[in-house]
This record gives sequence, C-alpha cells and structure tokens, in this order.
Amino acid sequence: MADKLVNQLSVVRHWLGKLLRSLKLPQPQKLKVSFVLSFCKRLFYYFRIWILMSKNSFMTVLSRKKILFLFLLGKILRFSFFTAFIYFLVLGAKGLSGYTKEQVVFFFLTFSLIDILSQFLFREVYRFRSLVVTGDLDLVLTKPVSTLFRVLMGGADVIDFITIPPLLFAVCYVGNLFQPSYLQIFLYILLFFDGFLVALAFHIAVLALGILTLEIDHSIMIYRDLVALGKLPIDIYREPLRGILTFIFPVAIMVSLPAKALMGLVSLQGVFLSLTSAVLTFFVSLRFWNFALKKYTSASS
Amino acid sequence: MKKYLSIFNISFQQEFAYRINFIMWRVRNVLQIFLVFFLWDAVFKDPGRVVFGYNREGILTYVLGLIIVKSFVFSSKSMDVAGEISRGELSNYLVKPVSYFKYWITRDLSSKSLNLSFAFFETLFLFLILKPSFFIQTDPILLIFFLLSLILAFSLFSLLLFIVSAITFWMPEAGWGAHFLISIISVEFMSGALFPLDILPHFLQRIVNYTPFPYMVFFPMQVYLGKILDSAAVKGILISGLWILVLYFIMTLVWRKGLKVYEAYGR
Repeated sequence: MADKLVNQLSVVRHWLGKLLRSLKLPQPQKLKVSFVLSFCKRLFYYFRIWILMSKNSFMTVLSRKKILFLFLLGKILRFSFFTAFIYFLVLGAKGLSGYTKEQVVFFFLTFSLIDILSQFLFREVYRFRSLVVTGDLDLVLTKPVSTLFRVLMGGADVIDFITIPPLLFAVCYVGNLFQPSYLQIFLYILLFFDGFLVALAFHIAVLALGILTLEIDHSIMIYRDLVALGKLPIDIYREPLRGILTFIFPVAIMVSLPAKALMGLVSLQGVFLSLTSAVLTFFVSLRFWNFALKKYTSASS
Repeated sequence: MKKYLSIFNISFQQEFAYRINFIMWRVRNVLQIFLVFFLWDAVFKDPGRVVFGYNREGILTYVLGLIIVKSFVFSSKSMDVAGEISRGELSNYLVKPVSYFKYWITRDLSSKSLNLSFAFFETLFLFLILKPSFFIQTDPILLIFFLLSLILAFSLFSLLLFIVSAITFWMPEAGWGAHFLISIISVEFMSGALFPLDILPHFLQRIVNYTPFPYMVFFPMQVYLGKILDSAAVKGILISGLWILVLYFIMTLVWRKGLKVYEAYGR
C-alpha cells in the first residue's frame, strides 16, 4: 500500500515538474531582488496603460449619457428582478435544497459580483472579433505591450464600474447576516479571487477560440449562460450536470465555493482542490491562447 | 403576396448562411432552460408537493413549454429595424413597392418557423434526457384558445419591437439600449418567460397585469395548463386584443411622427 502511494507521488512529482518546466517559470536561484524590482516596474507600466485605456473607454461611454442611462437602468432592473424572484420563490417554497432565502440570495450576490467585475475588466473581449476579421489585430501585435493584455483589458466598462460599489455593499450586508469568523471571511476572499481567476481563464479561452473560429459573440454568450448556472447553489443540479459544472467548466469553483466558504460549508481539502484547479485552468487557457495566436493569419489586413 | 413569399424564402435561406451562429443561439436557449428547470426540480423534489398553486407536473410543463412559446413569440428579426433607422437604410425600403411592416413581419415569420422547428427537437431532447413529468392538454377548446393566445402574443411582441425601434428616429444611438431595457429585460421578467408570475406577491401581480407583458408568455401557458378556463380565457384574449389595438395606435402615431423627423443620416 505504502509502495503504491510512493509510486503515485513520484508520478505526480514527475508530471508537475514537467508542467512547471514547460511554463518556463523563473528558477528559484534567479529570483533575486533585481528581478522582483523589474517585475514591479513592469506591473506599474501595465497599470498606467490600463488607466489610460480605461480613461478613453470611460470617456466614450460618458459622452453618450442617454445610452449610459438606458443600459445602467437595464442592468439595475435585471438585477432587482432576479433578486426579487429568488427571494419570493425561496420564501414561498420555504428553502431551496436545504438553503435559507438569505443563503440563496448570497449565492446570487457572489455570482453577480464576480460576473460584473469580470465584465468591467474584460469588456474588450466582446469587441475582439472585429480586430481579427479586419486584420487590425496586426496593429496590436506590433505594439510594445502584451497582446493578450490589450485585447482582454483594453476597454473597461463604466456601466459595470458604477454598479460595483452598491453590489459590494449588498454582499457585505447579506454576508454579515451569517456572522462569519475571520477564517471564513479570509477563505471567502481567497476563493473569490480564485473564482475570478477561473473567469479570467474562460475569457482568455474565448479570445483564443475567436482567433481559431472567428466566432466571439456566441462563445462569450454561451460562457455567460454557463456561468449563469452558478446564480444558484450548484447542489440543485443533478448528475452529470453537477460534475460537469465542477470539473469541466468549473462554475462551482468560480461562484458556489466562495459563498459556501463564508457560510462555513467548505472543507480545507475543498479549498486546496479549488485553488489547484483554478491555477491549472488559468495555465491551460494561457497555453491555448499561445497556440491560437500562432494560427492568426492576418487576413484582410 | 408573391413578393412576401420570396422575402420569406430568402430570409429562411439567410438563416442557414450563418449555421454556426444559429446553432449556438439555439444551444444558448437550451442552456437557459437548464437553470430554470433544475431550480423548479429542486423546489418540487417531493412529487406530491404543491407550491404557488403548481404541482411538479404543472411547473415542469411550464418550463419546457417555455422553449416552444418563446421560440414562437420572441424569435424575431425586427429588432434590426432600430439599426436600419439609425444607419439611414430605411430610405432603401421607402422607395420600394413593399410595405415596410409587412416586410419585417414576413421576415419574423420565417425566423419563427425555423426556430419553432428546432424548438420541438430541443424539447424532445430535453424530455428524453431529463425525463420530467409532463402535462398534455387534451381539451380541444383550450388548445384553440392556446393557439389564439400565441398568435396574439406574437402580434403584441412585434408591435412592441416596432415602437421601441422608433426611438432611434429621435435618438439614433439609443436603439440597442432601448431594446435591452424594454424588449429584453422588461419582457423577460414581466412576461413570465423566466418564472410563472403567480409566485409574485399579489400587489406586484396586479401591477404587472396592467401591462401587456403577461399576455406574451404567462397567459398562453396558463391557458395550456388549464389554469384559466372558459370565460376567464375569453376575457384574457379580449384584453390581449385590446392591447394590440392600443399598441397599434401608438405605433402608427410614433412612426408617423418619426418619419417626419427622419433625415436618413449615413446615406
């Protein structure tokens, strides 16, 4: 039994080593102060570019106030209608799969926060198709910034930005009703960012798919429909859908797990598994992006 | 009539020109049903349970019926009218010997027939994999009322789209925003396309009932399920008809005024 375990561990170590080597991460001995400093400098450089791009994007939307108003009102109405629906449903049904109405609303609020945050940051993904079909991606490729960064974060959405503070307040208010411990709050924040990493991975995969198939609009909407399944606790779904939403399209990790962590319903093993699978999903999506970028033909440019 | 048949045919073929787009759109419809289906499946885990006046069979029929009803009522191309006005492309139609409204209604019918045929297969597919208890209405009178209410719902939605699209006469950039707010968000929640409206508290139901939205999905489904019978069904159909008249009046008024301010920007 012990021999078998040792063998399995050595196989895992072998594959992990291979994966890390393929990612070309800096070797520990090379991780010196100068490296950290240049990394921070680079990070600041990208932050400044992001601020500049976001400012431009904000100004474009703010110059059309009527449209801003219509979309903002639409988003607020959609959010309010769905919250009211969940509230009245769980109230009338006296719970949902063992969860109280506050818990179900909290699942929805956590979903909304991750969803809106990713829409705010990654709105440019929705405009990527025109860059590929017109060949204008060439102009991005020649610039001294990461192409992925530009096409992913090049157009922050001011409408989503406006909705983030009240949503954050709602998350804090409803979350506080469960009287969570410091550990539960820490795990919630940790898993929230973990879920955000999965959302980032999905967006990168959609971009890669966009280069390969020239199709973005429906891919991103299918992604959103899939993620929308996380509006409610993942426990309501039957197998094999629940398995698919946990292991193949990790919507459960992205949305349900953070909410469960705050309610004290998640084990440390679950946290570890979730962190591992999110990191893995992220690296796989990066690989997919690099693969897709090599297939870009620059057609129409 | 012949020219509209040609428009129908061309529009139908156009849908097949972008096959992946169409298939993905249908996949999205199925995915959206999953959320609602499993939500109600969880609420009605106990087969004998009755909540909001529905039993398990009734609510799952409502959910699966949504695929058919939505594909007939909401499949539409005339949302593009807003874009045509803002780009000045409306001028192309004004000089042609076709009625602009009949042109779009024909295109809508083409889209509906294609979506409806796919919706039947999807319902069958979901029925086979989810194996829900399903209620089949056998009363011929109610079935006739159901079909009639569907036709009225289709007319209501088409008129609403034309009214909302007309906003672009005055605000050329607001077409998509207006459709997002009214034709998508408001219609989705207030028509019963996401949940049966009787789960809402009475005062909210009363407010929603003063709008034309419930007659687009909720009312036809209630007629199919046999929850609205005889005189109540006739009353509902009459109210739908009244709403059609009101919306038709608003539409003609708005379009008449809109065409006066139309300046064919972009042409």
